[in-house]
Amino acid sequence: MTKGGLAEDILTSQLLKENKNEKLKRLFRRSLTFVVIVLLGALIYLSIAKVYPFNWTTVLRYRRLFITGILVTLKLSAASMGISLGLGLVFAVMRTSKMELLNEIASLYVWVFRNMPLLVVILLTYYGVGNILDLSRFWAAVFALSAFEGAYMTEIIRSGIEAVDSGEIEAARSLGMSDFQIFSSIVFLQAIRISLPPLIGQMISLVKDSSLASVIALNELTMIGRQVGTSSFATFESYITVAVIYLLMTSVLSYLGRFLERRLMLP
Amino acid sequence: MNSVISLRGVVKTFGSLRALNGVDLDVRSGEILTILGPSGAGKSTLLRIMNMLIKPDMGQVIFEGKNLGSLTKKELRHVRSRIGFVFQHFNLFSHLTALDNVAIGLVKVKGMKWQSAREIAMEYLEKVDLADKARNYPSQLSGGQKQRVAIARALAMEPDIILFDEPTSALDPSLVGEVLRVMKRLAAEGRTMVVVTHEIGFARGVATRIVYMEKGKVVEEADPEVFFTSPAAAGAQKFLRSIMENAV
Ligand SMILES: Nc1ncnc2c1ncn2[C@@H]1O[C@H](COP(=O)(O)OP(=O)(O)O)[C@@H](O)[C@H]1O
Ligand SMILES: [Mg+2]
Repeated sequence: MTKGGLAEDILTSQLLKENKNEKLKRLFRRSLTFVVIVLLGALIYLSIAKVYPFNWTTVLRYRRLFITGILVTLKLSAASMGISLGLGLVFAVMRTSKMELLNEIASLYVWVFRNMPLLVVILLTYYGVGNILDLSRFWAAVFALSAFEGAYMTEIIRSGIEAVDSGEIEAARSLGMSDFQIFSSIVFLQAIRISLPPLIGQMISLVKDSSLASVIALNELTMIGRQVGTSSFATFESYITVAVIYLLMTSVLSYLGRFLERRLMLP
Repeated sequence: MNSVISLRGVVKTFGSLRALNGVDLDVRSGEILTILGPSGAGKSTLLRIMNMLIKPDMGQVIFEGKNLGSLTKKELRHVRSRIGFVFQHFNLFSHLTALDNVAIGLVKVKGMKWQSAREIAMEYLEKVDLADKARNYPSQLSGGQKQRVAIARALAMEPDIILFDEPTSALDPSLVGEVLRVMKRLAAEGRTMVVVTHEIGFARGVATRIVYMEKGKVVEEADPEVFFTSPAAAGAQKFLRSIMENAV
C-alpha cells in the first residue's frame, strides 16, 4: 500500500472515531429526552389522579376485547394498505398515461375520493353499496378505506413518476427500449423510491383513519375503546389505552418505513 | 460514399416556432460531421429527429435506405438501437451503477443475460478509462466521468452512427479534455459521428465536414479548413468571431 493509502486509512479511522462519538452523544441526548418525558408524564398523571381516581384493573379485565380490537384494526389496516397501494399504482399509471380516456378516469377517481369525508365514504359503502352487495362490516370498511387512501396514494405515486428525469427516459428510448421496458426498469423503480417517504406517511394516516370504521360498529380498536368506556365507566383509562396502542402501531410503522428508506437509499 | 442517415426537406414546428425549416442533409459512412450554429438554431432538434426521438412535421428521415416515418414501433426501436446518442446532460440512469448503465441496453434491447452484458459493459468502460468506477453510481462521478460512461453506454450497442449533442457544454472547463480525448479516439477508429459542439478545436482538428446552421436552416456546408479560414455566410463569420472571443 502506498503512503497516500496509509494516510487515508488514518483519516478514515479518525472519521470513524468521530462518528462513534457523535453516536454516543446522540444516544445520550435521546436518553435524557426520554427521562424528561417520562418524569413529566408521571407528574401530569399524578396530578390528574388527585381529582380522577384511575382504575386500571378495568382495562385489564377487558384485555381480551382490546386484543380483538387490535387484531381487527391490524387486519383492516393491512388489507387496506395492500389494496390502496395497488389502486394507487394502477391509477397513477393511468394518470400519467398519454391515453386521454384512462387519464380522465383516474382524475375522476382522485377528485371524488379526495373531496369527500372518509366518514361519508364509509357510510356510503356500508349502508349503500354494502346493502346491495351484501358486504360484511369488515369488508365494507376495507373497501371504503382503500378507495379513499388510494386516491391520495395515486397523487403521491403520480408525482413520483413525474419527478423521474425526462432525460433518462429519452436516453432509454435512444437505446431502443420499449415504453414498457422504460416504465418497468427506469421510471417505476425510481418513482417508488421518490414516493416512499410520503407513501409511508399515508400508510400512517391510514392506520389512524381506520378508527372511523367504528361508525359502522366494526369492532376495531376505537369501537372497543368506546364499548369498554361506556360499559365500565373507566372512560378515561379506556381511551388512554386506545391512544397509546395507536401511537405504538404508527411508531412501529414509521420505524419500518425509515428502515426501508435507508435500505433503498442510493449513495 | 453511401449515406448512413439522410434528411430530406425536414420541417419541425413547436407551436408557432419553426425549429427546422426545410433541412436536407446526408451523413456519410465514416465521416465526422460537426454541426455548428448559434443557440436556438435547431441543432438539438435536428439530432433528435435523426433517430426519431421527435418526429418531423414534414420531410423524410432515411436510415440505411428505410424511411423512418413508415416503420412500425418495433422496427423503429431496432433502428434507434443502431443509432447511439450522447446527451449534453449525460442522462445516465441514476438508480444504476456505471456498469449497469452500460449493460442495460444489452439486456433490454439485445436480450442478453445480465452477466454476459456486464462482461461486455466492462470492456467498454475500460475503453473510456473508467473500469475502476464500474461500481459507482452516477452521483458519485464527476461530469467528465458521467459523460464517458454515457459514451460507453452508446458504444456498447455497437451502433452504426453516434450522435453527440454538445457533449462537453455542461462540463467544467477542466473536464472537457478527457471527454474530447475519448471522442477523438472514436473518430480515429473510423466511426461515423455527428457532433454538435462549440469546441472549435475539435471541429477544426477532427471534423471531416462542417455544417453551419441558423434559424432552422443549413446555411453552409464546408471543409473544416475552408470554413474556419473563409466562411462564406455572413452569419458564420459573426458566429466564429463570437466563439473565438469567448474562447480567449
Ligand atoms: N420541446 C420543445 N418545445 C418547444 N420549443 C422547442 C422545443 N425544443 C426546442 N424548441 C425550440 O426550438 C428552437 C430550436 O431549439 P434547439 O434545437 O434546441 O436549438 P439548438 O440546439 O441549436 O440550441 C429553439 O427556439 C427552442 O426554444
Ligand atoms: Mg441544443
